[in-house]
Amino acid sequence: MNTELVINGTNIKKTFKNFELNIPELKIPKGFATALVGENGAGKTTLINILTGVKLDYKGSIRYFDKYTDADRETKPELKNAIGYTGTSQYFFPQWTAANIEEINTILFDSFSSEKFRAMCDELAIFPEGGFKGKVKVSEMSDGMKTKIALAGVWARDTQLLILDEPASPLDPLMRDKLNRMISEYIESGNGERSVFTSTHNIADMEAVTDYVIIMERGAIVEEGFVEDLKEKYVLVKGENTDADKAAPAMYTFNKSQHGWDGICLAENVDKLAGLDIVTETPSLSQICVAVMKQNSRLK
Amino acid sequence: MKLSQSSGVPIYQQVSDWFRDEILAGRYKQGEYLPSIRGLAKDLKISVITTIKAYETLEQEGLVTAVQGKGYYVNAQDSEMLKEQHMRKVETALQEAIKASKIAEISKEELLETLETLYDMDEE
Repeated sequence: MNTELVINGTNIKKTFKNFELNIPELKIPKGFATALVGENGAGKTTLINILTGVKLDYKGSIRYFDKYTDADRETKPELKNAIGYTGTSQYFFPQWTAANIEEINTILFDSFSSEKFRAMCDELAIFPEGGFKGKVKVSEMSDGMKTKIALAGVWARDTQLLILDEPASPLDPLMRDKLNRMISEYIESGNGERSVFTSTHNIADMEAVTDYVIIMERGAIVEEGFVEDLKEKYVLVKGENTDADKAAPAMYTFNKSQHGWDGICLAENVDKLAGLDIVTETPSLSQICVAVMKQNSRLK
Repeated sequence: MKLSQSSGVPIYQQVSDWFRDEILAGRYKQGEYLPSIRGLAKDLKISVITTIKAYETLEQEGLVTAVQGKGYYVNAQDSEMLKEQHMRKVETALQEAIKASKIAEISKEELLETLETLYDMDEE
């Protein structure tokens, strides 16, 4: 599919003592929800920090909305205003109150609406008694509440791109479902102009709203594509143990138990299993991600 | 529309099957627009790309036409076309029957006989 890109990165590199991030090309499609998947330490947060400008000592270039460069982040306020970001680390000081968070957002972002922010705080049930409680301190908030108030801050603005680093991790299942609905509604109201980029290590949480997926391992992109295309590229195969030895060489991943085997096979190799007693299924996005991660991980 | 995550039928196919039935049954009229891609994705809690694939499937079958920036509208469903769609269903079902009979080593004559018997039984 030919789609416009909301972010297009070239030769992004960042070297740490024991780790290197190296991405020759990064493509995030416009008008869709993209998930960045990878195990702990794969480089997801490093990449997001580079894209959002939290980290500035990297090599390479990044284009936003097909018209801004990474240097424009400092000089063109409309770019900063168009992007909403929530991170995993604490970027609110513990002594700040909810009212301080509202104040700082008002100063930083042109389109921030206090009214929308307070309504979002109520909608997300951030304060146990409902509504908006300006005096509550960040130090009194749970991890889930901190993530929710950061999301409320981003949703209270008029943006074109959301970059959310592990938004689902500290949230309970009910709030994860709510977050999915919020992302769907955000994309829908943009009518093709609004995009979302989230990182997660639990893709099952976001499977229903993910259009494009980028899988990272050890600082590199190992697989990417539209979910529907990946579901045609990989096939889930199950079979009997009598065929296990014949099937194994053609499989991408292979798990054998006492009562049969299963695994992921590349669609182009399914022909090699002809004549064996097997069933094939369309894999879920999580099954694809796990298979690709397994192939590229050091995890035994 | 009732979508099943565990039926083995891909979600996009369940969506396109549903619209195909609606269109062929005349519940979506000629010239009428299908729901917006992102609106339907939100309502069905499925991804945008799945909805696009479902609509593209219908477009390939000639049931709908895409208009850049406006969405997908329903084409005129002439009787020839309807017959064609039903013929495809018949062919698929018959292919299944042929496959099954080959596995069971049932001869062509026996298969045709069975078809005739079943057809006549249905008529009675």
